Amino acid sequence: MRILLVEDDPDLTRQLKLALADAGYAVDHAPDGEEAQYLGENEPYDAVILDLGLPKVDGVSVLERWRRGNVTTPVLILTARGAWSDKVAGFDAGADDYLAKPFHTEELLARLRALLRRSAGHAAPSLSCGALRLDPRAARASVNGEPLRLTSLEYRLLHYMMMHQGRVIGRTELVEHLYDQDFDRDSNTIEVFIGRLRKKLGADRIETVRGLGYRLAALPGEENA
Amino acid sequence: MLDLRRRSLVRRLVLIAGIWTLLVVLIAGVFLTAQFRDAAIRRFDQSLAVLTDDLYAGSSVDNGQLRAPFLTDIRATRVYSGRYWVILDKQPDGAMKPIERSRSLFDSDLMLSSAQIDQLEAAPGKTQYFDLRGPQDKPLRAAAVQARLPGYPDPVVFLAAEDRSPIDADADRFARITAFALLILGGGLILAVVVQVRFGLQPLFRLRREVALVRRGKAERVDGAYPEELSPLAGELNALLAHNQEVVERQRTHVGNLAHALKTPLSVMLTEASQQPGQLAEVVTRQAQTMREQVDHHLRRARAAARSQTSGERTPVEPILDELAVTLERIFQDKANGAGVEIDWRCPEDLCFQGEKQDLMELAGNVMENAGKWCRGRIRVDAVPVGEARMTLTVDDDGPGLPPEERAQALKRGQRLDENAPGSGLGLSIVDELARAYGGSVQLGEAPLGGLRVTLDLPRAVS
Repeated sequence: MRILLVEDDPDLTRQLKLALADAGYAVDHAPDGEEAQYLGENEPYDAVILDLGLPKVDGVSVLERWRRGNVTTPVLILTARGAWSDKVAGFDAGADDYLAKPFHTEELLARLRALLRRSAGHAAPSLSCGALRLDPRAARASVNGEPLRLTSLEYRLLHYMMMHQGRVIGRTELVEHLYDQDFDRDSNTIEVFIGRLRKKLGADRIETVRGLGYRLAALPGEENA
Repeated sequence: MLDLRRRSLVRRLVLIAGIWTLLVVLIAGVFLTAQFRDAAIRRFDQSLAVLTDDLYAGSSVDNGQLRAPFLTDIRATRVYSGRYWVILDKQPDGAMKPIERSRSLFDSDLMLSSAQIDQLEAAPGKTQYFDLRGPQDKPLRAAAVQARLPGYPDPVVFLAAEDRSPIDADADRFARITAFALLILGGGLILAVVVQVRFGLQPLFRLRREVALVRRGKAERVDGAYPEELSPLAGELNALLAHNQEVVERQRTHVGNLAHALKTPLSVMLTEASQQPGQLAEVVTRQAQTMREQVDHHLRRARAAARSQTSGERTPVEPILDELAVTLERIFQDKANGAGVEIDWRCPEDLCFQGEKQDLMELAGNVMENAGKWCRGRIRVDAVPVGEARMTLTVDDDGPGLPPEERAQALKRGQRLDENAPGSGLGLSIVDELARAYGGSVQLGEAPLGGLRVTLDLPRAVS
C-alpha cells in the first residue's frame, strides 16, 4: 500500500513516517501544497494523509483541485481546526475522513485502515440517468461530474428510483424501500425527501404523476453519462 | 438637584422656557395694571381740577368776607355723596380754618397734613393732588390750589375731593382680568414648549432606542434616517460599532491562530512520548493533555466573547442539518459492521436560528456526533418552531441511552465548566455551555427509538 503524507511540520512528519512504515505502508512525503498536488495527480496512491495548514497552497484547495481533476484517491484530513464548520467544509471539499490535532498515532492508523478497506470494496456497476450518475461502490452520486451531497436516506431513495427509472413508483413502494422497518410512515415523509432530492438534482428530473407516484427520467435531449 | 448637566434635556428646555415665560408675563401684568391705574387717576384728577378752578374763579370777597360761588354740582349737595369741596383760610399762625364747605360734607371737615400744606405753599396758584381720608374714613382723591384773592388778607386754599373707591375697584378688576388672561397665555406657552420639545427631541429618543437594541444584540447597527444634526452622531456610532467589531474579530483571529498553532507541537509531543515509555513520557502525556484541554477551552471562550457583540444574525437551520447529516454519515460510515449510520432529519424550510451559523453547527454537530457515537445505526433529528421566538432541536438515537441519574451528571459538568478543567467525554457539556450563552437549555431524556433524546431549546429568528 502506497501512502502520500502531506505535512509541513518536520517532527510530525518524522513520527508519522516511522509509524506508517512500521505498519507496513510505503510512504511518500510532500512538505507543501504545490508538491502535494503534483504527486497526487501523477502517482497512483492508495490513500492520502493531508494536513490543511500548508505552505504555498492550503490543503482544502489541493483537495478541491484533485477532486475536480478526477483524482478519487481516499483522503484523510489532518487539521488543527476541529470546529464543525471546518469539518463540514473539509468533507464538502471531498475528504473521506477527518482527524483533529492533537491525535494519537494509533487512531490515525485505525482510520487509515478503515479508509483503505472501504475503497477496496467490491466493484459494482454504476447507474446513470441522463447527466445523473450513481456509484454504489462509493455510495456517491453526481450530476455532470459534480458530486452531490446526499444523506443516506436521500441516497437510498435516489438509488431505488434509478434502478427503476422511467417507471412510475407509488408512495407506499418508496416508503417501504426507504425504511427497513415499520417506522414513521406518515404520508408526508416521501414528499419531504422528494423535495430535498429535487433541490439537489434540479427540479425537472423527478416528475410527479398525480394520484400514482413519482417518476425519474433523463431530461429531454440528454445522453446517458 | 441643580446640576443641569445631569437633568433631562426635556426638563431643562421646559424649565428655561417656563422661567422666561413667567417673568415676561409677570412684568407685562404689573406694567399694564399700573398704566391702567395711572390713566384712570389722571382722568379723575382732571375733573377735580375743574371743580377747584370753578371755586377759585367763582369766589368773591365782600367786606372782607369770602363768598363761595353757587355751584350746580348736585352730587356736592347730598350729604356724604362722596364729592366734596371746601375753602380754607390759611391763617398767619399756619392753621387752616374752613370758611365755606359743600353741603355734602355736612358737619365734618377735610384736613390736610402739614406736608400737604407745605406743598401748596411752595407752589401757589398751581393745582396739587393728594390722597386724603374723608367722612366715614373713606379714601378720597383731592385737588387743591392755594391762591390769594384781592381784598382778602390771608391766602386761601380751594380743595375739591371725591371718593376714589370706584376707580380703585375698576383698577382691581382690570388687574384680575389681566392676571387671568396672562396666566392662560403663560400656561399655553409652556404647554406649547413641552409639546415642541417632545416632538423636536423625538429623533433623539429614537436613537436611544436603537442603540439599546444594538446593545441587546437585536440589531447590528443604528439604522434609519435622522435629522442633519443627529445623523453625524448616528454615523459615528455605527463607525464605533464597526471598529469595535473589527477589534474583537482581530482578537478572536489571534486567539484562534495561537490556539491552532499549538496543536501540531502538542501532537508531536504526544506521539514522541507514546513511543518512549517511562516516567518522563507519562508527565509529558499528562501535561500535553491538559494543554490541549486548555487550548480548546480558551478557543470556546474567545468565541463566546465575540458572540455577545453580534447575535443579531439569523441562520437558516435546514442547510446546516443537511450538511451535518451528510458529514456525520460519512464520519460514521464504518459503524454497525460497515452499515453506517442513518440520519433522518426534519426541519421546516423557513426555520431560522437567532445566532451565528458556526454556533448552530457546534450545537447540532456535537449533539449529533454524540448520538452517532452511541447509536446502533439510526438517528432522528427534528427541528421545530415553538411559540413566538423559540425553537427546539431534538436528537434521538437507538443506542443504550443514559439512566436518569447519569443524565443530570452529564449536564452538571457543563455548569461547572468555568472553574473546572474543560472537556468531557460526552461533548454535551460544550453544548450546554453554548446553549446557555444563547439563553437556551439542554434536556436529556429517553428517545422513542430506545436511546438518548437530547432536546435543545434555542432562540428563533422571526422575520
